[in-house]
Amino acid sequence: MPDRLQQAITVLQTRFGSAAPRPAAPPCPARPSGVAEIDALTGIGGWPVGRLSLLAGQKGSGKRTIAQQSVAAASREGAVAYVDFPSRLDPEFLQRGGTRLDHLLVVRPKSLKDGMTSVRVLARAGVDLICIDLPRTRSAGLDAELPHLLHRAAEADCTLLLIHDAEPDDAIRYYASLILAFQRNTWVFRRDGDLEGLLVDATVVKNRLAPPGVKRRLLIPYPIP
Amino acid sequence: MICCVRTPHPSLVAAWLKAPTLRGRSLVIGGLAHERASVTTASAEARGQGVVEGMGLNQAQQFTPDAIFQPVDEEATARVRQFLLSTLHHFTPDVAAAEDPGCAFLKLDRLALRWPDRSALLAAISRAIDAVIRVTPTIGVASSIFVSKLAADHATVGVPVIVEPEKTCAYLSRYPIDVLPLDDDLREYLELLGLRTIGRLQTISRHAFRRQFGQKALDIYDLAHGNDRRRLRPFRPPVRIEASEPLEPPVDNTEALQFIARALAERVSASLLAQGLGTRVVRITLIQESAPPLPIEVRFAYPMTTAGELFDGIRPRLLRASIVAPLERITMRAGRLEAAYVRQPGLLIRRDGFKESIADAVARLQEEYGPSLVQRAEVQADAAPLADHRVLWKPA
Repeated sequence: MPDRLQQAITVLQTRFGSAAPRPAAPPCPARPSGVAEIDALTGIGGWPVGRLSLLAGQKGSGKRTIAQQSVAAASREGAVAYVDFPSRLDPEFLQRGGTRLDHLLVVRPKSLKDGMTSVRVLARAGVDLICIDLPRTRSAGLDAELPHLLHRAAEADCTLLLIHDAEPDDAIRYYASLILAFQRNTWVFRRDGDLEGLLVDATVVKNRLAPPGVKRRLLIPYPIP
Repeated sequence: MICCVRTPHPSLVAAWLKAPTLRGRSLVIGGLAHERASVTTASAEARGQGVVEGMGLNQAQQFTPDAIFQPVDEEATARVRQFLLSTLHHFTPDVAAAEDPGCAFLKLDRLALRWPDRSALLAAISRAIDAVIRVTPTIGVASSIFVSKLAADHATVGVPVIVEPEKTCAYLSRYPIDVLPLDDDLREYLELLGLRTIGRLQTISRHAFRRQFGQKALDIYDLAHGNDRRRLRPFRPPVRIEASEPLEPPVDNTEALQFIARALAERVSASLLAQGLGTRVVRITLIQESAPPLPIEVRFAYPMTTAGELFDGIRPRLLRASIVAPLERITMRAGRLEAAYVRQPGLLIRRDGFKESIADAVARLQEEYGPSLVQRAEVQADAAPLADHRVLWKPA
């Protein structure tokens, strides 16, 4: 790229942020999420590798199901870890969703510090994807842990998914490269009255790798999967 | 002179050490009878019934229906082999492992002063091995590896076969050519020419043999005359780096304990540095005055060498240790030794040159935060449909 063009792009990026022109090729490798709609929504074909992606939304909005489908997809290719702060992970549900349980490590930390240390160590050891299910209560000290965590994830090419039921802190919003907000829309029924699934609105609130603001409605089929 | 010490296959010895009642019984090692695998080794009783190495386990079971089938315990087998070599290493550093796992060689040349009576030396070797692995070896002594191994193969327990150098040709001449490492073509040619014993082969001149069978076959010709050019590759015993300190009077405060631990870390570090090694596990044993010893294990993600690095890992574990009585002795041992130079590539490439395995990382986390931190889940499909029954959580 010529220097003058690069300078112009830098000026536009400074002025317009992520709305500025960007290269057509994905700037960052992506790991498929296991859900085609989410891959399309992120703009790069999946979750960014070596970065943090946040799945936000109220309880029952489908974000945990989407994250667990991503865990299932990643477990078929390598080692994955699930950091289960609320201790409510259902391995049977994961197995039904196609997760290879022999590739899955479940971390059940007693404190945020233990959990984040575990994530750092496992990321460094070569775990491909780590899904962190944060507690609903405000996580004190998370803002101090996140920079170390991201540094390690970037170094080890580990994909980090963060699930947060409550409104995310400023620190999480700042460090996340991708924020997907989920909102429950409505239950969908078949003509015979049987439940078909839950309709969910997913919005890209923040995206450092592709244009943000994209919305998509997706159906989480019931029973799952 | 080279001495060949021959014991049964180490996996067989390991099985006997684990269960002495198996001695004298028909035992087949390689797997369970129904498995699709082959026989690694078998006891003399099973061999007597027709079982040979490499035979399928199903076939072996047909030969010996009453035999006990066991899988190979790799760890115990390696330990037996290590015991055998280490025991011989006490006699002389010129010890070598053979390709045959039950065999080891040692050079006797440097032992003439210490052991002027060779038969006493061979009896001492036999006794030492019997004391360690509970098996009396057969021993052959000759001027070369090949002849000594052949002598050991044909010796009986307690009666070593000694082949003096000048009698080597005469000793070999009685054996069939099958004892030589022949390929199929050469064996066929020799048999066509009516050369069925080494003695007949020795009657041919070297020049004529080379003209008939080529340059490569000369190695066989030399072996038939007892000339084996192979050299022993010396066995090096595992390095053990340990430092220990008696505490007199017994210590009952953590400040003093830390001070002593730091001094021991420096001693261990000096040994590591001297050998260019790093350790990934430090095992500390705290001997308490009126309570059982307290073992502490500290794992490191990378091979550590310096005292500072070692002590940084050790200190928090010492402070958390539940010491219930004054300490009489502290011992520190470096385990999982690796070459320290592996840290150097970090200067050149991304991530500091090497990676901790996931298993190591999980072990380190569990050691630090308890076994319940990292778990694996197993779903039992046939259990009752209750979460507690269907999902089995196990430490990873």
